[in-house]
Amino acid sequence: MIPRFAHARPGSFDEAFAAFDAAGGDAAWYAGGTELLQVMKMGLARFGTLIDLKGIAGLAGIAGDDAGGLVIGGTATHREIERSPVVHAVAPALAALAAQVANPRVRNQGTLGGNLCFAEPHSDPATFLLAAGARLDLRGRSGRREVAIDEFLVGPFATTRAADEILAAVLVPAAAPGEGRAYEKIVFRERPAVSVAVRVRVADGAIVEARVVVGSMTDVPAVVAGAGAALAGSSADGGIAEDSLTAAAEALARLPAEDDLDGSADYKRHLAGVLFRRAVRAAVSEALARA
Amino acid sequence: MPETVELGFAVNGRPATVRVEPRETIADVLRERLGLTGLKVSCDAQVCGACTVLVDGLAVSGCTYLAIDADGRTVATVEGLATDDRLSPLQQAFIDEAAFQCGFCTPGMLMAATALLAENPTPTRDEVVAAIDGNLCRCTGYVPIVEAILRAAKAAR
Repeated sequence: MIPRFAHARPGSFDEAFAAFDAAGGDAAWYAGGTELLQVMKMGLARFGTLIDLKGIAGLAGIAGDDAGGLVIGGTATHREIERSPVVHAVAPALAALAAQVANPRVRNQGTLGGNLCFAEPHSDPATFLLAAGARLDLRGRSGRREVAIDEFLVGPFATTRAADEILAAVLVPAAAPGEGRAYEKIVFRERPAVSVAVRVRVADGAIVEARVVVGSMTDVPAVVAGAGAALAGSSADGGIAEDSLTAAAEALARLPAEDDLDGSADYKRHLAGVLFRRAVRAAVSEALARA
Repeated sequence: MPETVELGFAVNGRPATVRVEPRETIADVLRERLGLTGLKVSCDAQVCGACTVLVDGLAVSGCTYLAIDADGRTVATVEGLATDDRLSPLQQAFIDEAAFQCGFCTPGMLMAATALLAENPTPTRDEVVAAIDGNLCRCTGYVPIVEAILRAAKAAR
């Protein structure tokens, strides 16, 4: 059974901060509960009060921004992202990712904001959003601050969010002309064993810039700079140069990894290489379509 | 005295009022307060799907869904599928296809399939498989379950 807690359902940010103070700080923000309730059941976390953020209208919904990017409210569910026309138009790989998170029940209930704040090393969206260069809109008593997701995720189950800050929205930039983004994963249980996200920019038939992120193998998804650098300069429209792929794969093979229930370290590095090749092909294909 | 809250929601079309602690799940309330024991709590971790119920038409894991979040909403359980003594076409299709053995996963399978068919009355085989991805069966094997859901969809056409 879940340990006893009090419940508050504020209708605004100010009411939410007031509820946090009323709980003497012994409180957690609550939305879908798919992560939080689970760790409370397991006795890994205990809070005197859960403050339900789903009553705050400004946290819900998904919209486009002025620059053609996405503003995904902190309480938007994976299902809402999966089915959002604006997400399909701006970041089709994110819509496809959302459609594959855990299982349909978790997608109906779980939120993107909760997923990122929980900072599970096996998070699907965190890996993709690192590749896409997402930024996070955080609200505190002193107002709003915006951080790059790279500066938000700092360790397993650890972020730079203060306990009394609310993740209001996830800001996903539009793909620039010639840019493509893709995400590939392999799952043996509920969460990915290994996942790879790639963002490439293509100009004049060649890759000019690439960012490669490997999820689930390290404490936080790993930006593999060597793999990105190896891709830069490769041809794009006539197939990706094999020596670039090989050099990138060598960078991935140096990733730290541990043996666990998802497989041996060597096996996971192998999977990362396979998923990387798939993701690069998909990202280049999207990039060429946008060029 | 622990804090309690009075909730009102519709269960299988009938209004229900219960006073709960915030920590109580919809599975606790349906099973222990309202006597609706069709849903099962098995893994208690949103993995197995035996506790699947629909809230406002969407499948959720009853084991990890706070009852307080159902306030003012509609809840559907396996007990609501049959009308009078007639099984729903989906339930009948499970019998016709021998889509269960021990039956423990069946209420969850039926509710996951009910949510699918309400949204998509003509699913492909792949869409059926995707809809029950996350509902575990450990005796029938999934093929008869998928066949039953496709059969029910076909019968409704």
